[in-house]
Amino acid sequence: MSLDAIPIHVVNPTPGESALTGNAPPLLRELAEQVRRLLETGEPSAIDLSALPLTPADLDWLRDRLGSGEIAVTLQANGESTLNETACPGVWWVTHHNEQGAVTSQFIEVAFVPELVKAHPQDVAIGLEQLELSLSGL
Amino acid sequence: MPGPLIESLARQGITRRTFLKYCATLASMMALPPSAGRAMAEAMAAARRPSVIWLPFQECTGCTESITRSHSPTIEGMIFDMISLDYQETLMAAAGHQAEAARLDAMQDNAGKYLLIVDGSVPLGLDGAYSCIGGRSNVEMLKEAAQGAAAIVAVGTCAAFGGIPKANPNPTGAVPVSDIVKDRPIVNIPGCPPIPVVMTGVLAHYLTFGSLPELDDKGRPKAFFGETIHDRCYRRPFYDRGKFAKTFDDEGARNGWCLFELGCKGPVTHNACATAKWNGGTSWPVESGHGCLGCSEPDFWDAGGFYKALSVPADPLRIAGVAAAAGAAVGVGLSFANRAKKGAAKKAHQPVTLADLEKS
Repeated sequence: MSLDAIPIHVVNPTPGESALTGNAPPLLRELAEQVRRLLETGEPSAIDLSALPLTPADLDWLRDRLGSGEIAVTLQANGESTLNETACPGVWWVTHHNEQGAVTSQFIEVAFVPELVKAHPQDVAIGLEQLELSLSGL
Repeated sequence: MPGPLIESLARQGITRRTFLKYCATLASMMALPPSAGRAMAEAMAAARRPSVIWLPFQECTGCTESITRSHSPTIEGMIFDMISLDYQETLMAAAGHQAEAARLDAMQDNAGKYLLIVDGSVPLGLDGAYSCIGGRSNVEMLKEAAQGAAAIVAVGTCAAFGGIPKANPNPTGAVPVSDIVKDRPIVNIPGCPPIPVVMTGVLAHYLTFGSLPELDDKGRPKAFFGETIHDRCYRRPFYDRGKFAKTFDDEGARNGWCLFELGCKGPVTHNACATAKWNGGTSWPVESGHGCLGCSEPDFWDAGGFYKALSVPADPLRIAGVAAAAGAAVGVGLSFANRAKKGAAKKAHQPVTLADLEKS
């Protein structure tokens, strides 16, 4: 049986109706401040987009303003995550999906490299052990 | 399984990045600042596992089903590795006297430090004889276990508010945990059943910060119960534009309009279903076309009929006694019990206090 047999369909509001709320522009100011702090102190920061009242139109507006940069990182960990650099270096658009592909959380991170991308020293140590193990077999 | 959590997770194929990602999402759901995600990951990865005793009283095991079968295998489920679950009748291998001995041992060894999780209400009728474990009444066991507990987590609406066992006429004299234990911090995690991530979120918060999360006036974690279903419902735009489904098979229902007039209790129900969703983020009641029953609010079973529309959406669900389901919901072709039965039921019920909230 196909899903079409179920006579219930969600009708989403037409594009014109989901207008901008005006909540997005202040975020750009906050980002500017965070980037300034990153430059001066090296302290990374982030904005949790799912915690804010932003409509899809607001998010599109933000994404348009920030543009896209040179690096796009894809992480496969319990569903896909994308960590994409924006046109503003040091500002990353981070989206976490679950295994079903739904967005579970969304952040704008301000960092030279997002924490999630870096390898943890403990994991590197485990990797080194494995490397040495395979070397010993040569 | 001794050793830090991150190692036991690694043994199960959960990588550090998966765990970091989980913590980031968990922090976001708990409305903690983004930096808290990393702090949580660090603290939990290295956490020493606290002893947890889980006592089941008048319950249906639905809460345990919810947390263990949410969608397996989940990190939510594996987070149970971060606690030492020393007594849980449904999950433990031991039975009979051995099981009770394990409970007593855990209570003695970790006196003052263990977390006590309770699901199910506590019957007080006939000196508690309605529900006993190993020949001892629930109320007696609860009092004993609460004495040495650092904190108590009342899981599910039954433990938090009395739930279905307490529904009128409450034959067993069921009461919530908070009616019996007065001198220990209690977190209520209501829901029938509660959302798995809410249960693990509270445990994660306790492990990370060594304290219980901020609670609302009903003892529920504000992070998850701070907003109503209605506040975060994706059908809210239809409510705002006055587009309602009038029956379960009309054009409005097919178009996914607001279910308010079909009795949705979303406006007075505080829970995280609309954002956390169910079955691994697949869907939730309103998304599947049925109004919210209000299962995370006190006395939801007696709140005057699941299909009766509320009339004052903004008010909190304030139900002191029991509201009689006095009439069929507007426009719903449901077959109700015959009138004689209804009249008798109505007479047996206590005064209606929800009436002012409802359409007559």
